Amino acid sequence: MITAEVILGLLYSSITLLTPLLLAGLAELLVERSGILNLSLEGTMLMGAFVAFMVAFYTGDLYYATLLASIAGAVLCLLFAILTITLALDQMVTGLALNLLTIGITSYLYRASFGWYVSPIPPHIQTTLQPIEIPVLSQILVIGKILFSHLPHTYAAFVLVFLTWWLLFKTEKGLKIRAIGEDPQTADYLGINVNLTRYALLILEGCIAGIAGSLLSIGYYNMFLDNMTQGRGYIAIALIILSRWNPLLLLGGAFLFSFIDALQLRIQAFNIPFLPYQFALMLPYLFTIVLLFVAGRKVKGPASLAKPFKKLR
Amino acid sequence: MGKDPLQAYYWLFQGAFSPSAISETFVRATPLLLISIGLAVVFRAKVWNIGAEGQFYIGGMMTAIMGIMFKDLPAPLAFPVIVLIAGLGGAIWALIPAILKASYGINEVITTLMFNYVAIYLVSYLLHGPFRDPISMFPETETINPALWAPIAVQGTRIHVGVLLAFVIVVPLAYFFLKRSAFGLKLDILGSSPRVAEYANINTTHLIIQAMLISGFLAGLAGGFEVLGIQHKMRLELSPTTSPYGYTGIAVALLGYLNPLLIALTSFFLGGIINGSMTMHRMAQIPVGMAGIIQALIIIFILTGYFVEDKLSKKVMERLKL
Repeated sequence: MITAEVILGLLYSSITLLTPLLLAGLAELLVERSGILNLSLEGTMLMGAFVAFMVAFYTGDLYYATLLASIAGAVLCLLFAILTITLALDQMVTGLALNLLTIGITSYLYRASFGWYVSPIPPHIQTTLQPIEIPVLSQILVIGKILFSHLPHTYAAFVLVFLTWWLLFKTEKGLKIRAIGEDPQTADYLGINVNLTRYALLILEGCIAGIAGSLLSIGYYNMFLDNMTQGRGYIAIALIILSRWNPLLLLGGAFLFSFIDALQLRIQAFNIPFLPYQFALMLPYLFTIVLLFVAGRKVKGPASLAKPFKKLR
Repeated sequence: MGKDPLQAYYWLFQGAFSPSAISETFVRATPLLLISIGLAVVFRAKVWNIGAEGQFYIGGMMTAIMGIMFKDLPAPLAFPVIVLIAGLGGAIWALIPAILKASYGINEVITTLMFNYVAIYLVSYLLHGPFRDPISMFPETETINPALWAPIAVQGTRIHVGVLLAFVIVVPLAYFFLKRSAFGLKLDILGSSPRVAEYANINTTHLIIQAMLISGFLAGLAGGFEVLGIQHKMRLELSPTTSPYGYTGIAVALLGYLNPLLIALTSFFLGGIINGSMTMHRMAQIPVGMAGIIQALIIIFILTGYFVEDKLSKKVMERLKL
């Protein structure tokens, strides 16, 4: 039953599933490094999935779908920024509230457009995002197929891992971001614009997380489902904790998680009699909790994470 | 969407607060009330349990299992015993995230949410497998023996004993505990400043676990009431799909400023919106998801004027006479 082909397929789909987590995770990682905990990452991804699907459904253009998903994500994160930075509201509460808002808006607008009874065949789009085979590299034996025959998003995510790491640890901008995350008051005295930096990072996060969400509805599926992100935004946040806010470690964590997710899909497909599919579906969530217990105990994040900042001057 | 908005709001209101609808609004408000009072307990300590949905489902499932396995429990004893076990089920479901948070500092938002998915899939397995009613077309248990159902409190309505218990007993009790007891004060201190809590010699580990257990117990109890009082069997849609009780409860608790008396009002109000949006859907063909938006918009409006931090810490300072 376990052939080389199964294992290769497993690795290939791990990398596919890893992409939205990694994209959203990297963007959130930058934001958290600046001291903001944005739980509305979940809602932003859901919004991206919804907007991308609607645009793709009505125009058939996946490019515009991606663009508008990105803009919608940015708008949502901008709203989060206004509430938590300018109005200094509790970040946890605001994040949770925005997630409730997006679930409400997306499922309402979906029904308003397609009616209440959409089954048996829910509305779907004709074409989805297609993988791009990188010339030469994809011909390499074994690895070629696994690594170099993916959506452009996947390549972008891998490049972003190193870009984020370089930005954070090798540039002056990165030093400023980390300084804000550790001690915004001092950073402010040193002339760093705390709020502007946080605003910019949050809008960037919105753009990227919106695209990450769009992958679900116009990349992997060809339809939108209520709450289709299924907690992926929260899982990305868990992976950031595990990676100790380091982009390179995040890549490893996201791969490990996606491997379990891919494995879970295989278990469902194999229809093993003594393992009901619901237990397979539980696996990624249980795995996240176990991972947090094993590697996420008493991990110290940026010192000012989730604390509101008020200018003293 | 081209519908007359005034007409739509008319049906929303009619379906929510007109004399004929008001008893159903109480019925809808009860799980919201119990869940959000539980959430108020933990939220006061700034512990963000978002696992009420899972705790609610586990409570409901425990109730159905008890009801099916012990068909012949003597009637006056059955109701209290079964709902107590439902509550304990919810509390146990909250225990692991509670320990992870209190002893190891692991983010409770993530763990409680993960446990929601685990709970729903577990219930789904039980309803498709061992506890499925073989006659039914849907994944649900058989109907529980009517002798075990929660007694109806107001004839001609679905208002059962659980509704009364929630509004008449739980609300004042919770008010007393949160506002007038040392336990409530400790929660407020922990919520406004963990450092002060440590100086005050408060055992924060125990406090967090206790608060989470209470919160899980009330959510489980809500599941028990819902199954014994309303559904009379366990179903996959124990919560309305477009506004699940466990998540809506977060909104209700925050809207009620984490104060049990206000929460009684807000849960009645949101129960009305859920109830009314169904009437609105029937009469004006407006999607039920509208209720979700209305709820969320209210939260956003409230949030903009809601400075939890300042309010809570000021109150604590007043009570400590600092």
